[in-house]
Amino acid sequence: MENIMLPSPHKILSIVKETRAEYTFRVAYEGETKHGQFFQLSIPKVGEAPISVSGKGEGYIEFTIRKIGRLTQGIFGLQPGDMLFMRGPYGNAFPIERFKGKDLVVICGGTGMAPVKTLLNHFYDHPEEGRSVHLICGFKDIDCVLFTEEIEKFRGKFHVIPTLDNSSAPGFETGMVTVHIGNIPFDQFEDYNVVIVGPPVMMRFAALECVKRGVPEEKIWVSFERRMSCAVGKCGHCKINETYVCLEGPVFNYSRAKDLLD
Amino acid sequence: MMISKAEFRGRAELYRLLSRLYEREADQALLDSLQSLSLPEDNDDLKQGAAALREYLASAGPDAVEELAVDYAAVFLAAGSAEGAAALPCESVYTSPRRIFMQEAWEQVCRLYAGKGLGKAEGRADLMEDHLALELAFLGWLVENGAVSEQKSFLEDHLLNWLPAFAADVEKYGRTPFYKAVTRIALGFLELERGLLEGLDSGELSMARSFSVRNDRFAPILARLREKYRVFAPKRFPKRGLKGADLIRYGEIDALTDIVYKEKSHLSAKEVFYPVSQTLFRFTGEECTQEEPADEREIILLARPCDLNAVRRLDAIFLRNGQPDLYYARMRERLHLFLLECRETFDNCFCVSMGSNIALDYEAAVRIDDICALIEVKNEAFLPYFEDEVPIDFAPEFVSENRRAARIPDIRREQLAEITALDYWKQFDDRCIGCGGCNTACPTCSCFDTVDVIYHETSRDGERRRVWSGCMLEDFTRTAGGALARKTPGANMRFKVLHKIFDFKLRFGEEHMCVGCGRCVDRCPKEIDYLDAVNGLSDLLAGKEG
Ligand SMILES: Cc1cc2nc3c(=O)[nH]c(=O)nc-3n(C[C@H](O)[C@H](O)[C@H](O)COP(=O)(O)OP(=O)(O)OC[C@H]3O[C@@H](n4cnc5c(N)ncnc54)[C@H](O)[C@@H]3O)c2cc1C
Ligand code: SF4
Ligand code: SF4
Ligand code: FES
Repeated sequence: MENIMLPSPHKILSIVKETRAEYTFRVAYEGETKHGQFFQLSIPKVGEAPISVSGKGEGYIEFTIRKIGRLTQGIFGLQPGDMLFMRGPYGNAFPIERFKGKDLVVICGGTGMAPVKTLLNHFYDHPEEGRSVHLICGFKDIDCVLFTEEIEKFRGKFHVIPTLDNSSAPGFETGMVTVHIGNIPFDQFEDYNVVIVGPPVMMRFAALECVKRGVPEEKIWVSFERRMSCAVGKCGHCKINETYVCLEGPVFNYSRAKDLLD
Repeated sequence: MMISKAEFRGRAELYRLLSRLYEREADQALLDSLQSLSLPEDNDDLKQGAAALREYLASAGPDAVEELAVDYAAVFLAAGSAEGAAALPCESVYTSPRRIFMQEAWEQVCRLYAGKGLGKAEGRADLMEDHLALELAFLGWLVENGAVSEQKSFLEDHLLNWLPAFAADVEKYGRTPFYKAVTRIALGFLELERGLLEGLDSGELSMARSFSVRNDRFAPILARLREKYRVFAPKRFPKRGLKGADLIRYGEIDALTDIVYKEKSHLSAKEVFYPVSQTLFRFTGEECTQEEPADEREIILLARPCDLNAVRRLDAIFLRNGQPDLYYARMRERLHLFLLECRETFDNCFCVSMGSNIALDYEAAVRIDDICALIEVKNEAFLPYFEDEVPIDFAPEFVSENRRAARIPDIRREQLAEITALDYWKQFDDRCIGCGGCNTACPTCSCFDTVDVIYHETSRDGERRRVWSGCMLEDFTRTAGGALARKTPGANMRFKVLHKIFDFKLRFGEEHMCVGCGRCVDRCPKEIDYLDAVNGLSDLLAGKEG
């Protein structure tokens, strides 16, 4: 029987400093992952935590990690060549098949851009599979902006609205992501989907704003962030009523997510 | 495999009940007794028959007895119907070419009854010997008094040969769902019996054997068992409990006298196979090495019915929720479950309400008193340890009444938002201190945290453990940065209560998570009564609806 709690070591290939508190770690990895999935990353003697796949390529995957507590701090102390312990991938994924041939709106805040980035890159690399892509990405201030180069790149093919919560900078709008939802031409879309990922409060208000503007709940997709210890349906931390976020999520259709009450 | 005496007794009883149902019209007492009937559900006929019966009984009005009498007369006595439009419950009718009474089959069963010295019972003079009621009664008698081969041939030659055709007629001519349901149950039960008897006949199955062991003869048996098994049972740990009281928890026993059988254990049996703290793997430098069990011996766990029933709940989480967990699975494989009979109900038990007062899935059952232990052995691997003891007729009994009862609310998924928003939960905010004692005591709480441990500051070596956690702990849902998904003790209480009596069953089907052991009530330092919380919710919801 496979030991689902046992991690294996993977070599860190490179580290990119995105902001003061967020680094992207490229790690050697062979294998498939789906858009929106995550791994349990750990450092022996420090601990373990769920982190989404933020990028992937031949022989590697990337994690964009925010330094916030014990483990994440520990990971920030690692160097290229060091080992990161991993098990996964876990969780479901954004239903990319349902996004094909339709317009796509992605609304994300802060580190919430990490789990949707491979999805965005997929439609950037295969524009023939989708239609228009609208991206609203919000950050607290200019020092918190992630993935600067890729956002620039996305501007080439997508409608991109980068925004800072309450300051201004060249190339950025000002205001929370919610105030920009009005600029999305929903009425010009034939069929579309909206993906919302970010801190819980941001997701709630962005979803409410979309619904207020006539977006049917079934077209909205969110990704939950819950405390997780095991990621395999055993520890109980992520459970909301009968739903285990690590097994049935983290991606949920909003029509279901809004009933996940806690 | 062996089947227990209790199961044999249950079989005979079911034959007698079915016999009664066909013998004459139903009366109120019979209908009442059907309300609490619990049936095996091993095949579709049994399942659907039981469901239809439940449905009929639930909706039966005050004139049900009368309605059924009319149905009985029409279907089984052909009252008021044209020739043939009935299901006459006699074998000859279904096995003779001209469909008439007292043919060859009738002669055969008369001879069989006479061979056993049996005549028709008192008050049944008007029934033919090959009437379904008498054939069922005879088979019930054979279960307790006859050989397996006799049971098998009677079942096949005199019941299953005509019951399917009879059942089809009942289905066709029955006016109420009642006799259709009863007949499906009879058919399903006889099918089940056929499989069982085949197993018994071919020697795959045999009847459990029981022994009486004088207490002073137990030491050598235990010593022999311990060569191959570690034996766990409820044990006393003096002055280790709350406020300096004794603590009763499961531990490895050295002598029969170690077993505490007159009191309820404070902690459940789960710690034997799901330890409070367990090393998952060790790190040495750059490697993780899976932890292997320190003791390879198998485990005998002597546990109460509630605790045995709780094992199935933990199995659901660890083996069926996503991929199976290796550490649990390998403990579970080595586990032999023995039943420790409850001779009385204890304070705060409400196992009867949860249906977990009875546990039949055991390898041996034990009753202990001051003089001897009675043991029923179902797994023949354990027979050699007891064969020199005095054989007796023993099957465990189960508590059938508690001093307290649960009223489990019938919650629908759509009500969750309303239930979550209830002010009801706020009563726990000031009282519960989030100590998690209730989770610790509970046989069905399965949650854990993983923690990394280093042996000393500069050490390269360490290990990852998992340790019990619980949803009543304040930090259970805390994420980095400090946010809590459930913010108050009341919210935690709501989560726990709904998990125990609503959403576990919604997810896994079959049964609620709570087994009604009452340990969480016993344990709470703030005298928060979980059972009152469940019943209060029930009343509140009933009041709102009514
Ligand atoms: C599906 C999913 C995807 C995620 N993706 C990312 C990502 O791409 N980038 C990123 O920076 N963060 C992500 N997070 C959040 C990240 O898991 C937490 O920031 C991280 O657990 C903090 O660990 P820590 O030890 O540094 O913090 P501490 O506060 O010291 O946490 C201690 C322990 O609490 C638990 N814990 C704390 N916060 C969380 C949390 N939010 N989710 C789950 N467990 C938690 C962990 O078990 C952790 O070991 C994700 C969370 C989830 C559930
Ligand atoms: S919730 Fe309470 S009564 Fe139910 S099984 Fe757990 S400890 Fe026993
Ligand atoms: S209900 Fe009682 S036992 Fe449970 S956490 Fe609260 S105070 Fe502790
Ligand atoms: S994270 Fe452990 S059950 Fe979902």
